[in-house]
Amino acid sequence: MTTKMAKLIFYIGTLSSLVLFLALTVDTTGQFAALTHADTLDEQVVAGKRAFERRNCNDCHTILGFGAYYAPDLTRAWARLGEDSIRRRLEKPEVAFADSYRKMPQQHLSATEIADITAFLKWVSNIENHDWPPQDSAARWKRSTERMLAAAALSPGAALVEQENCLACHSVGGRGESKGPRLEWIAGRRDSAWIADYLADPQKLAPGSEMPDFQHLSVGQRHMIGEFITALAARRGGER
Amino acid sequence: MTQKTQGVAYPYFVVALLLFVLQVAMGLWLGIQYFVTVPQSVVDVFPFATARAMHTNLLVLWLLLGFMGATYYLVPEETGTDIAWPKVAYAQLIVLSVTGVAALVGFFFGWTQGKPLLEIPRPLDLVVVVAALAFLANIGTTMFRARHWTAIQGTLLGGLVFLAVMYLFGIPFYRNLAEDWYYWWWVIHLWVEGAWELIAAAMTAFILLKLTGVQRSVVEKWLFVELGLFLFTGIAGTGHHYYWLGAPGYWLWIGGIFSALEPLPIALMVWDTWKDVRHRTTPLRPRLTWVYLLGMVILHFVGAGLFGFAHTLPQINYYTHGSQVTVSHGHLAFFGAYVLLNLTFFYLAIPRLKGYANGQYDERGGHVGFWLTSFGVVGMSLAFAVSGVLQSYLERYLGQPFMVAQEPMRLWMAIVAAHGVLVVIGVVLIVKHLLTLKPMPAGTAGDLAGS
Repeated sequence: MTTKMAKLIFYIGTLSSLVLFLALTVDTTGQFAALTHADTLDEQVVAGKRAFERRNCNDCHTILGFGAYYAPDLTRAWARLGEDSIRRRLEKPEVAFADSYRKMPQQHLSATEIADITAFLKWVSNIENHDWPPQDSAARWKRSTERMLAAAALSPGAALVEQENCLACHSVGGRGESKGPRLEWIAGRRDSAWIADYLADPQKLAPGSEMPDFQHLSVGQRHMIGEFITALAARRGGER
Repeated sequence: MTQKTQGVAYPYFVVALLLFVLQVAMGLWLGIQYFVTVPQSVVDVFPFATARAMHTNLLVLWLLLGFMGATYYLVPEETGTDIAWPKVAYAQLIVLSVTGVAALVGFFFGWTQGKPLLEIPRPLDLVVVVAALAFLANIGTTMFRARHWTAIQGTLLGGLVFLAVMYLFGIPFYRNLAEDWYYWWWVIHLWVEGAWELIAAAMTAFILLKLTGVQRSVVEKWLFVELGLFLFTGIAGTGHHYYWLGAPGYWLWIGGIFSALEPLPIALMVWDTWKDVRHRTTPLRPRLTWVYLLGMVILHFVGAGLFGFAHTLPQINYYTHGSQVTVSHGHLAFFGAYVLLNLTFFYLAIPRLKGYANGQYDERGGHVGFWLTSFGVVGMSLAFAVSGVLQSYLERYLGQPFMVAQEPMRLWMAIVAAHGVLVVIGVVLIVKHLLTLKPMPAGTAGDLAGS
């Protein structure tokens, strides 16, 4: 190889890659508005992003998969945890993570900051990013809904979830609201006995939660709900 | 050493090495937090996030100071002239060191821009920009005054300007998170897989020239090919960070294809180095410098090339993105590509700055540091990798909640920390050896003549 040839490789390689990259950057810039639903990106979301940066959240958590890997990814935190659970964690992390082997710092956030961060997380959770991360994939959760609907006639627990209107706050599959955590996510962390206890007195196990108690149900009914929810736990792999 | 003002490089090396020790000490503390429960009272005062900001910023700061010192050593020798304003070079080191210390103390008190790796607050960013401009002006003026252009200095200057320009994209506040990360990668990716690779290629070419005695025209010819391939794969390869941030789907193709080719230029660098070593006209002395050079080339290829390739395709990255797999790649790549590069350069430059004959020095005590640190970082990266594969399977594939999936990973994070202990000891030994470098003891010089 001659030096002239080597220089040619340098110029062609660099310039072709640069031109391609810049052209795609122009195109991507034009598409961001639609892909990130920029029409819902209001001043509260921006204030939430500023608070998120001020508190250095990103040096423990990832968001869109970027940041530190010490704490859960926040891309779909709003959809996974729900607004009440987010508030409880931000307000009193020392209580919310009292039993956890990994802690979150108490940063004395104001009520406004908490509301702003929640709005920010809600906006982030609607970014269209090819359904990442897989553990929070809405498409995968939808199969759980189908399972629940199929089992509703047979499973007394599922019937109780419908009867007690749990989906007015929680979500499962593609249905429900994001005030409380997703039922599938609870299923991954808790057993049915814990859920039955929780239903009897939420304040005992999650102080400050807005979850109402379900004392009007019998112990047996609360266990049935617990068993139904734990059955939603992720057992994927075979069904893809 | 051929020019008097090359001496400004030495204080840069000293500051860089001291920051290196702090960086790995902070890293060990981060590793420990993955398997030990840190009490709430400690977390409230000194959270993981603060320690992480310190660990990563110390890394960037000491590597950049190392590059700058290397530049001040290399440019006068290449141009055959003295540095234009040596006093500015000293002042710039003081400004950057003070800024760095201010940033670290600031992190502790919650003064941060809150963007990973770019946490330095905006007012300090401006100071960094001023210092960087002074540096570029100093180097540029030296080169332009000398009018003795070589491919090595051209590459170095190109890399440094590229580096400085990219830093600017990390400074503004972006309202849209997706856009924020899009340009964040212009700093991070286009640094480590663009600008820094140019600097590394120039420094490596200079080291090879000095160590092997191979003809300049041969070294420079392959330098052009390497640079062409680095930039061809690296620029469009930025796309491998755009898979999941809310960007269009074509990035899965562009990012996947271009980044899959990224190991090629590194492989060429390995082959090129090997070729030069075989055709050398000089003996393999001092052995330790050669150990560093070959260690760098091999671990650059394994850490940046192979470990990067392992999770760069979107089909795999969907499950590994943002897991400990990334951490594994990050640690080995930075160590192989940039930490060992700086250390190799220090071992080349410091004996010459001290005026030892033929750049020879007393190697005793230096080898242990290299092997402990390298063994530690490789072991650590493998333990991170196991941990990351567990996480990808349990959390991402099976869908277990984050903290449930972290439980079986704790053992592997303990193994990471155990290797971290080796790294800290190794780094202390390396730094001690470099800062107290002695000439070759009398009576061993005969070895050199005989080999």
